[in-house]
Amino acid sequence: MSDSRIEGYARGLFEIARAEGTIDEVEDELFRFARSYESSDDLRNALTDEQIPASRRQAIVEDLLGGKVTPTTTQLISMVVGSGRARDLPAIVDKLVARASSVKNLEVAEVRSAIPLTPDQETRLAAALANATGKEVNLKVVVDPSVLGGLVATVGDTVIDGTVRTRIEQLKSRL
Amino acid sequence: MMLLAILGADDATQTPSKYWPEGYEMLFGIPASLIVFFLLWKFAGPTIKKGMASRTAKIQGELDAGEADRAAAAAEAAQIRQAKGDIAAERARLLADADTQAAALLEDGRARLTSEISELESRAEADLVAAESRSGDELRAEIARLSAAAVDHVVTGSLDAATQQQLIEDFIAGVGVGAGVTR
Repeated sequence: MSDSRIEGYARGLFEIARAEGTIDEVEDELFRFARSYESSDDLRNALTDEQIPASRRQAIVEDLLGGKVTPTTTQLISMVVGSGRARDLPAIVDKLVARASSVKNLEVAEVRSAIPLTPDQETRLAAALANATGKEVNLKVVVDPSVLGGLVATVGDTVIDGTVRTRIEQLKSRL
Repeated sequence: MMLLAILGADDATQTPSKYWPEGYEMLFGIPASLIVFFLLWKFAGPTIKKGMASRTAKIQGELDAGEADRAAAAAEAAQIRQAKGDIAAERARLLADADTQAAALLEDGRARLTSEISELESRAEADLVAAESRSGDELRAEIARLSAAAVDHVVTGSLDAATQQQLIEDFIAGVGVGAGVTR
């Protein structure tokens, strides 16, 4: 899909969430779903399979998210999947998150961790990242077991990598 | 009649000399012999002379032919002797050529053998160095692979919950002072 169309979808979803007054929750839930979508081949295949009727794919989304996220999030994802744009969902969500952060003068900080962070750790990490980059950040934590341990944070073009995976790769490279 | 009387007067079986015939025999015999000799000389002489001359010529011809054969044989002998001399010279030349060629071949063979030995030694040394290098590289690669596997095993095995929390805390603390930032 073209960037303008992705941008259009992102803007549309953002406006709906903002009109519903749940932009913060919806943005966070969409972000988490997009990361799950990226990491799960089964989910990706199910939601992009043209052989499966759109209504069935939407039902999969509703079954998967029903009761776990806000109704707005479920409906927005269902709408994207129903319109046959599931393949572009991560890009749409990333644009939406960036837009939401921009409105609040925040920079998106994507953090990948092998285990979930506690609220306290997220608060302190956001403060630390703001201190390191000089920008207020909208922290998005992705649980990614492939990092093995530690964290990697991406804020705009800045990458702060403290993962065990990277250290092991460096050590292997030296070996 | 008188002749008969003479003939009849003596005994027919008796002669006066043991060596000479009777007189009448000599009387008739000598002229008869002379006549015979004359006739022989007159009629047979030329034929005999001619035959003798022919024989002489024939013998001379044979002598000449023999002399010619001898000369031819001598010439042939000389030719053979010359040819024999030429053969000896040719043999000597061929032997000399063969010696020269053998010496050249030997020298060439020695040079080629020396070159091949040198080349083989160089190649063997290069192969040895390459094998050493290859073995070293393979050994280093294997050590690196095993070390990486060991690192993976040790690190992932030691990543318990406390270590994970410690890593997160270290990261937050490190980011707070600007450590590990890449752009």
